[in-house]
Amino acid sequence: MKAIGLATVMTIVLLLLATLTFRLFQSEQRVRQLAILYAICALLLACLWLATPDDLGVLPPALVVVPRWLDLLLTLFFFSAAFFGGVLQLYNLADRGFSLRILIDALEHPSGTVDLDRLIGEYGGGRGIRWMYDKRVADMLQGEFIARAADNLVLCRKGNSLADLFTRVRRFLRLELP
Amino acid sequence: MTAWPPAVTAVVAAAAWFIAFVLAHVLGWRAGRGQAGWLLLTYAGSLVGMLVTVASVTLGSHGLLPTILAAALAILINACLFVVYVPAVYTVLTSLSVQTMLVLRRRGGSMPERELYDRFAGRAILQDRLATLVASGYLVPDGTRFRLTPRGRSLARAFAFVKALWKLGPGG
Repeated sequence: MKAIGLATVMTIVLLLLATLTFRLFQSEQRVRQLAILYAICALLLACLWLATPDDLGVLPPALVVVPRWLDLLLTLFFFSAAFFGGVLQLYNLADRGFSLRILIDALEHPSGTVDLDRLIGEYGGGRGIRWMYDKRVADMLQGEFIARAADNLVLCRKGNSLADLFTRVRRFLRLELP
Repeated sequence: MTAWPPAVTAVVAAAAWFIAFVLAHVLGWRAGRGQAGWLLLTYAGSLVGMLVTVASVTLGSHGLLPTILAAALAILINACLFVVYVPAVYTVLTSLSVQTMLVLRRRGGSMPERELYDRFAGRAILQDRLATLVASGYLVPDGTRFRLTPRGRSLARAFAFVKALWKLGPGG
């Protein structure tokens, strides 16, 4: 139970730190900011685990995880999953969620609706659907997955390897290739 | 024979049942099962199986309180694996960046930028997403428009709050 308690506390600390960081230090590299916060918090968590008694001074012996090393592993595992599957996904969805942005566009419109023609020009709070794809292309260019060559976009080696991997996965899952 | 400590039982049961869930999910996928429904069904099945395993192994040898500990740990381990697995699934299914690279690969690694924009920033992709949002119960058709359902409104409000709290800008 110590693992659950400490990982929960540190996840709340991470969320608070992420909120402060995003509000005080505006940056285009938010994933990098989150990754740094995760590393700092994971280190703090390991120190906190070492500095606290196994029963946290309150737990009955039956709720203390044995062997001890497993409790430390579980603490770090719970915290890491909360980060990669929780905080990071929350950020990705809030900042990059295509479908979610459509819902927010509907919410923000006085009529509470969206329609296809309006979304083409006004998706993303008035920026338009091309803006949505601009962001993805810019990220792929920055990550060197693709490159520009005259009027074409070209797969780079890293992009080709990733495309190869996803092609295999989709074939295995019997999904249509786009 | 010495019984395993409850925490070890929890880890082993959670890992084993999660592997069973992934196998069932993938096999169902290959057999053409509905994606979201099948995902939840197989996951729920694996949770039940895991809890029965943990209870049957721990209850007799350790008593009630250690069984509660083992069950709590097992549920949390399984849930953690699930929240990491699901985004990976949706990357395969819906990521526009991944789809762009797949299309580029199929077209020999190079394509006019205009064609990619026509494909990924056009009416078809929006129509597709709107249909998915309707099928998922977040939007409902209203003439040529789409209106938020109460479920869609709650989700949009929650994420609009996160975006405002984190000052993320328009996003999407």
